[in-house]
Amino acid sequence: MEQQVIAILNDIVGAEEGELEADMDLFEAGLLDSFGVVQLFVELEKKFGVVLAVEDISRENIATPALIAQRIKQAL
Amino acid sequence: MTPFSGLLFFYAMGILLLPAIVLGLMGKPLRHYGLMFTFVMLIFIFSENGQLVSLTVFYLWETVLCYMYLRVGKKSRITLILVVTLSLLPLAAVKLGEIFATLRMFRLLGVSYMTFRGVQVLLDIHDGKLKELRLPDLSYFLLFFPSVASGPIDRYQRFATDLERKLSRDEYMEMLRRGVWKLLFGAFSAIVASGTIHSLWLSPLPDHGFLATLSYMYGYTFYLFFNFAGYSSMAVGTAYILGISLPENFRMPFLSVDMKDFWSRWHISLSAWLRDYLYTRFVRGSLKAKRFKNPRTASYLGYILNMTVMGIWHGLTPPYILYGVYHSLLMCLNEALDLHWKPFRKMKQKGWTHVAAVIVTFHLFSFGLLIFSGRLFS
Repeated sequence: MEQQVIAILNDIVGAEEGELEADMDLFEAGLLDSFGVVQLFVELEKKFGVVLAVEDISRENIATPALIAQRIKQAL
Repeated sequence: MTPFSGLLFFYAMGILLLPAIVLGLMGKPLRHYGLMFTFVMLIFIFSENGQLVSLTVFYLWETVLCYMYLRVGKKSRITLILVVTLSLLPLAAVKLGEIFATLRMFRLLGVSYMTFRGVQVLLDIHDGKLKELRLPDLSYFLLFFPSVASGPIDRYQRFATDLERKLSRDEYMEMLRRGVWKLLFGAFSAIVASGTIHSLWLSPLPDHGFLATLSYMYGYTFYLFFNFAGYSSMAVGTAYILGISLPENFRMPFLSVDMKDFWSRWHISLSAWLRDYLYTRFVRGSLKAKRFKNPRTASYLGYILNMTVMGIWHGLTPPYILYGVYHSLLMCLNEALDLHWKPFRKMKQKGWTHVAAVIVTFHLFSFGLLIFSGRLFS
């Protein structure tokens, strides 16, 4: 799951293979912003059928690829 | 009389908070007394400023809309637009009344904040997140006294969670300690600090001249920060004493490295509300419907929409609208630099370029407040 999330994030933030790590804080690194979060949620909905609402999730809960993967598992 | 201003207000509020403190220290629930406290304080304030009828009409209007929409079977986009438009009518009436004297019959302190609470409930009903409403909880949320005049703008489900929470004596003691501290800090900030800046810095300045306007820009920035952050702190503090954890509204905004960062630190509850319920919905809808060839176009337009609405939310006079447009342009510029000038991200993070980014952001915001103040239009 984490690898799938990283693959989606690679496309969104334009990162290269191996640049993103599971425990990397995407907001602190300046890789994810408001638009990136919306893009990520749209892609997660397409890929996993999981509908996540921005207003229900604080940034701390989706700060790293590992936390995003955890969130998807909870929603599935 | 306005909330958190004048000795009579603090005297009355202090006396009325005493039973809440006693109940809290006994480990008893505070929701019923808190609701009664809110009603008594609102009657006290709004009967004195002659707006009690307006407040009653507003409350009934928003409550009926929420319950009616809850009962609508098929919630289409059209019904949502209709019900949100109806919910915004009292706000529009007040804002139009500030421009056209003939419409000035409907005036209501805090209408901007209370309306956004109502709209948020309607949007959550539409999304299926709210399947039922309890009238006392909805009333308490819509009218919650501490944040009625200057925020923060809370969310219904977060607020309702606080109402359900059972606080132990120790937990309440901690909330009380934080509440009293926030009240005292807020009073110092809003009354002493901002009052001193106003009387010693802003008032003596001449009305015209470049240097006077420059000095006014800095003075007004600090005045508004201490004033607004102070009132927010008093609201959060009073809410703590009632067992409610309102969201914080400020987080060291003058350390921001760019305008995106700034809006995550200044008037946080409003910018987060607009981000979640306007920007995100617009961008998400645009991405899913593939409205634009370049997806980033949705983000640029989202920022323009977001910040222009933020300006209009403050009022319909030219300074407020221009303030919103100015910030929408700054957000677009910020977005463009983030995307197309690679060193920008690293420059903001450390070294002297980090300091420069903080100084530039402060000045960009200060100039925005100069527009907001209306001085350039007088």
